[in-house]
Amino acid sequence: MVSYIKSNKMKTKCVHKDLIFYLDNELSVEMRAAVEKHLEICADCRSFLVFLQEGMQMIEKEKKPEVSPFFYTRLSARMDEKPEHQAQSQWVRLAQPAFFSILLVLGIYGGLKLGSNASSSKEIRPATSSIQMLNDFEDEPIESFLLDKL
Amino acid sequence: MDEAQLIKGIQQGDRKSFQILVETYQRMVVNTCLGIVHNQADAEDMAQDVFLEIFRTAENFRGDSKISTWLYRIATNRSLNLIRNNKRKRFFQSIEETFTGGRNRTSEISESRGDQPDQNIADQQRSDLLHRAMDRLPEKQRIAFTLNKYEELPYQQIAEVMEISLASVESLIHRAKKNLQEQLLDCYKKKCV
Repeated sequence: MVSYIKSNKMKTKCVHKDLIFYLDNELSVEMRAAVEKHLEICADCRSFLVFLQEGMQMIEKEKKPEVSPFFYTRLSARMDEKPEHQAQSQWVRLAQPAFFSILLVLGIYGGLKLGSNASSSKEIRPATSSIQMLNDFEDEPIESFLLDKL
Repeated sequence: MDEAQLIKGIQQGDRKSFQILVETYQRMVVNTCLGIVHNQADAEDMAQDVFLEIFRTAENFRGDSKISTWLYRIATNRSLNLIRNNKRKRFFQSIEETFTGGRNRTSEISESRGDQPDQNIADQQRSDLLHRAMDRLPEKQRIAFTLNKYEELPYQQIAEVMEISLASVESLIHRAKKNLQEQLLDCYKKKCV
């Protein structure tokens, strides 16, 4: 009964979602028959089935490729050069982060040092030193300056 | 020479045994990598890395599983690592392109197109579409689907390679097919090929 209702529904409803399983022969006998019945009347589902089939066939076309005849020769060459290259890359892998860490620490230290020097030199300098130039009148009062002119 | 003798030879550093192993399994490993990375040159490089790893770590092989299972495991892991690295590279490249105005991009596309000059355009488009859809699958679905479709492995062997239950493999492949179908349907509706 259920399959009858299902197959009746399939006559009208598109079966897009079942087509990949239809192609792989993974539907039950009843479902398969129902899908086939629907495909007879539905051009859109038929068209999508062809689209899907062509797409999935690409796997068949591209799988099991011919491997290069020099595959082992190349591999053998890589095996011979590997230890030296590996030792070098291992050294680089260790040295590079260490170098950049030292550089970073030095940078931070230098920055802090510069910053503290700047702030301490500000503190040492008396606040009045910049104003002293303006108080030149104390050394040479304007009265004496005018008297000299006379 | 059986598998145990082959492995014993490789463990002792015998190059001849290693050559026999490579020649026996090279096509299988390249095909598995190709199913994930979709490029023959990359797949061959990847397969070479797999065999190098086998040679270096042969003493760790206890013989609990078949050599092919061990090879499949390394091949899928390495291919996925390559894809992750490529994604990372593409991310940084896209940042670079925003500054350079995408000058480097065109040359890269034309290089990848030149890989298969004999394929007709329609096949190339279908192939690109399928690869894009496969690349969007979650990693486990992609591995299970690739091993099943490219290598035609039975579910039981896929379960051994992936170290999961048979039911999980069935579920992964079912979901992979549904996801692929949804993506292809979306493309079909938009008439992108």
